[in-house]
Amino acid sequence: MVERFALSRRRALFGAAGFAGAGMVAATAAGCSDDSSPATAAAPRGIVPFHGAQQAGITTDAQDRLAFAAFDVSAGVSRDQLRELLVGWTAAAARMAAGQAVADDAAAPHSPPRDTGEAVGLTAGNLTITFGVGPSLFDGRFGLAGRKPAALADIPPLPGDNLDPLRSRGDLCVQACADDPQVAFHAVRNLRRLAQGTAVLRWFQLGFGRTSTTSDGQDTPRNLMGFKDGTNNIKREDTTSLDKHVWVGADADQAWMRGGTYVVTRRVRMLLESWDRDFLQDQEQVFGRTKASGAPLGAAEEFDPVPLTVKGADGEPVISADAHIRLAAASTNDGATILRRGYSYTDGVNQETGQLDAGLFFIAFQRDPRTGFIPIQRRLAASDALNEYIVHTSSAVFAVPPGVRDPKDFWASSLFTT
Amino acid sequence: MRRAPVAYSAIAVVIATGVVACGGSDSGGSGGPSGSSGSSAAGKKQTVTVTITSKSCLPDVATIPSGPTTFKVVNKDAGDVTEAELVDGNTILGEKENLTPGLSGTFSLNVKAGKYQLYCPGADTEKVDFTVTQAAGATAAATRGAEVTAALSTATTGYATYVRQQVADLVTTTGAFVTAVKAGDLDQAAKLYAAPRLDYERIEPVAESFGDLDPAIDARIDDAPDVASWTGFHRLEKAIFADRSLAGTAPIADKLNTDVGKLNTLVAKATFQPAQIANGATELLDEVGKTKITGEEERYSKLDLLDVQGNVEGADKAFTLLEPALKSLDPKLASTVRTRFTALYKALAPYKEGTGYVNYDKVTQDQRRGLSQAVDALAEPLSQVAGVVVS
Repeated sequence: MVERFALSRRRALFGAAGFAGAGMVAATAAGCSDDSSPATAAAPRGIVPFHGAQQAGITTDAQDRLAFAAFDVSAGVSRDQLRELLVGWTAAAARMAAGQAVADDAAAPHSPPRDTGEAVGLTAGNLTITFGVGPSLFDGRFGLAGRKPAALADIPPLPGDNLDPLRSRGDLCVQACADDPQVAFHAVRNLRRLAQGTAVLRWFQLGFGRTSTTSDGQDTPRNLMGFKDGTNNIKREDTTSLDKHVWVGADADQAWMRGGTYVVTRRVRMLLESWDRDFLQDQEQVFGRTKASGAPLGAAEEFDPVPLTVKGADGEPVISADAHIRLAAASTNDGATILRRGYSYTDGVNQETGQLDAGLFFIAFQRDPRTGFIPIQRRLAASDALNEYIVHTSSAVFAVPPGVRDPKDFWASSLFTT
Repeated sequence: MRRAPVAYSAIAVVIATGVVACGGSDSGGSGGPSGSSGSSAAGKKQTVTVTITSKSCLPDVATIPSGPTTFKVVNKDAGDVTEAELVDGNTILGEKENLTPGLSGTFSLNVKAGKYQLYCPGADTEKVDFTVTQAAGATAAATRGAEVTAALSTATTGYATYVRQQVADLVTTTGAFVTAVKAGDLDQAAKLYAAPRLDYERIEPVAESFGDLDPAIDARIDDAPDVASWTGFHRLEKAIFADRSLAGTAPIADKLNTDVGKLNTLVAKATFQPAQIANGATELLDEVGKTKITGEEERYSKLDLLDVQGNVEGADKAFTLLEPALKSLDPKLASTVRTRFTALYKALAPYKEGTGYVNYDKVTQDQRRGLSQAVDALAEPLSQVAGVVVS
């Protein structure tokens, strides 16, 4: 077990195979060619191609670290200035994803360096930078009101929410994932710097450990409660499920979102002090899994089918009615399923209580939150046994446009042109 | 008690980077002067011809000056080598692929000084060293017209005049304030405290350039080595607005008067370089973000927004003097900075009250954040001005 984990972890970090990810076209990750013909060579190690039909950072093998930021566009910024920001951001993101500095810096002792410098000498660390736009961007400031997809509605209040408005929502979002936390931080920091005067940082969340697998080649990591959760995630190899549940199809009400997806983020604080006092059997019943092996209760191995209908000697289901695994299962949600890509986070000590402020920064991609996250979470919020130990402290939804096709394209270009 | 004064930060970090930007697309690849590259003036495009053979890929010159460069790749007769790349370590900076024998093509780059390699996979010798040196005359200053030079000269004398006027005003307003303090007139001292603060904050980075003078005049209690040796405006501010007693403050008041007088003597001889003026403006805004928005600077009088006004006006004056030259050198930057100044004044406007500003206690957390964001929005482009106007 330990051996297998170590092996596949190394593969996740250094393996070259499959970086392109499902649906990703091979493209010049670095370098320039006057005829912009796609490079035929495989991407260099540790570099995830930035250009493609879909944005990277969704089906890309989940990297180890997260830096996720939401921005608000500043008052008085015009539609053209917003577009200019996205053009500049895209160029900078493409460079950083290729392991380069944000801009060329000639020796200019009297100017601040264009790149902040902390990623110099580090590898790209499989950096992906994924961009999205929030519902508030369509409020009329930029003449985009008619472009708002129906699926991009604010997440309604849900039972058990205790949301901090300053950590929720936002006009724009940037998700930077990398295997090196400094690389992920550098990406957000430099995009933020480029946005000075055009957009302000609204909130910023770091995640220190992935909690999801997005590929069959990755082992399921444990969350801060010590459990494997998300075993039955949508994997990049499963293109049928991706097309059905993640990518926005040709039937979308807004053409600019075709090939895109929607991301929902929730900062789920875990009441770890209480959880750590709960006895093992109860912990396992809360999740519906065995803590040590990750196998569903009543099954032998982690990836065995979840025996939702099996009853124990006492006549009760072995996986109880309020177990997390049952309520989250697609089969009990009319087939609703989402691609989870969350990270464990901590922001130190909650100064009010002296308890740990730590938990899961939940990230889920889906083709429509109204048939994905919202019904699933509504059901979980109503009866999940886990609710005793968690509280949702932030909430946001963003439309994630399709990928940046080539170096001339930019994030959400279809929003401005289609 | 701050970082190095107006003295333009001499130690800017230079980053070793990927060093190139994609050049314009010269698709087709014909037409460029074949062969010779020679030395190109900064900004003028040069061409390097790279010939692919089965043995290697050879540039016609091994060393070129930095600047926009077209690489013309020619495959003479190499059947199994069909591409050439310019690489920096493992990073491909530019490449031309799929060149079968007889074909040629180009790629264009703005190449920065550095050591690179030409890489042709499959050749007997796959990598050949290629060196780019710093182009002569590549600095901004060398290409400046006489008009710009004259405008910058006007800016430096204009700024010296401005500083002297501000300090002369400071001498007057401080004198009146000190008189009230020494007369033990609390109300009058409170009333006269604001005027010298505004004068001082407009030129604060200049005062900072004179060693101990700024700490003596403007230290916050946190900056003083100990309370007993704490002098200056804020020591008196505490007596007036917090202690409500001027007992024992006469020596502090006298020293303040003396120190302001010293400042006046020193600025009479001071001269300024364009980059110093620009960096001073940025430092004024950094001051706003560091101690004013937080409410530390005027914690007893709550006049923080007046200090902000002083800092912003001082930065504006510095920028306004540089603006004519900057409009020639970098019109986009000039217009961005001006727009952001306007936005910052607009952000400050709601807090105006009478001839000054509201008590800073009345400014909420959200409002303070908004002000800070407007300051950052201005300071970022403003920080790029020095590099453009530097001599």
